[in-house]
Amino acid sequence: MHIPDAFIPLPQAVIYWIIALIFVALALRWAKNELSEDRIPLVAVLAAGIFAIQAFNLPVGMGTSGHLVGGALVAIVFGSPFAAVFILTLVLIVQGLIFGDGGLTTMGANIINMGVVGGFVGYYGYTGLKGITKNTYISAAVAAWCACFLAALLCAVEMAVAGTFPLVPGLVAMGVYHAAIGIIEGIITALVIYLIHHSRPDLLADSTEGGGVAT
Amino acid sequence: MMETKQFIIIGLILALLVGIVAVFAASGDPDGLESTALVVGGEKTLTSVTPEDADAEEAVPSPGLFTYESPLPDYSMGEEAGTGGALVAIVLGIIIMFGLGWGASAAIRAMREPK
Repeated sequence: MHIPDAFIPLPQAVIYWIIALIFVALALRWAKNELSEDRIPLVAVLAAGIFAIQAFNLPVGMGTSGHLVGGALVAIVFGSPFAAVFILTLVLIVQGLIFGDGGLTTMGANIINMGVVGGFVGYYGYTGLKGITKNTYISAAVAAWCACFLAALLCAVEMAVAGTFPLVPGLVAMGVYHAAIGIIEGIITALVIYLIHHSRPDLLADSTEGGGVAT
Repeated sequence: MMETKQFIIIGLILALLVGIVAVFAASGDPDGLESTALVVGGEKTLTSVTPEDADAEEAVPSPGLFTYESPLPDYSMGEEAGTGGALVAIVLGIIIMFGLGWGASAAIRAMREPK
């Protein structure tokens, strides 16, 4: 879902950048005040892992492929949507500057879609669902699917405002493809949380697997 | 419970494995956004396979005029460097990401005012 420079006119790209920078500033404040020393290695490992897995496109049929975005995963692991903004911004900077994946002018929009929407939908979706289902993995998978799907719909709206895609066909195609790609998002998000739970449960914000709700 | 050092090493090895396997096994099909561009641009239908020569950025209007040449475009070191170049690029990216993740979070945390 990385928007290239060609897809958004500069004035609109600037507006997305300004909105994104507000969230980036809040994410930096989160890192400064909330991130504990012993979770710095987790930031590094997740940043490296998300970068790697984003290069691994899996086929979803319909002539299309997709990969984990990871915003929901980071937000659930750290117990804060701002953690997702923080790590996804770092990933998008490296991808855009070094690997030409996602534009530079459009990085603001990409931070909003993948970091902000991914993080907030992922985190609040997870805590809400966990309260109902009491199951970490189902809640995380469904929240991650929603994060992927809603980010794709927002992206389609941005493309319509930019004049790049017509609104309805863009929403339909983005929605259909990311409903499929979201399954990858859901499975891998649950799997990585499972792996961390069984290696370093102390690093998870919500270390209750079955009963209990994140506090 | 796993030691922190062990957790870091295993995490980094997993990331490198995913990246290296991706060089050989990742799907060449366009991603959801590119596929949507091809659909609305009339290059493919919603469920059809993607034509070999389809170009997402040429299928739709391109209102963004800014261009930038990245040093390692598409996670490669150019066509002549081939698979070897792609492996170097992805491993380099993973190491940069790990260093930046650690460096940025440690630096910001260090700005915390002492209490």
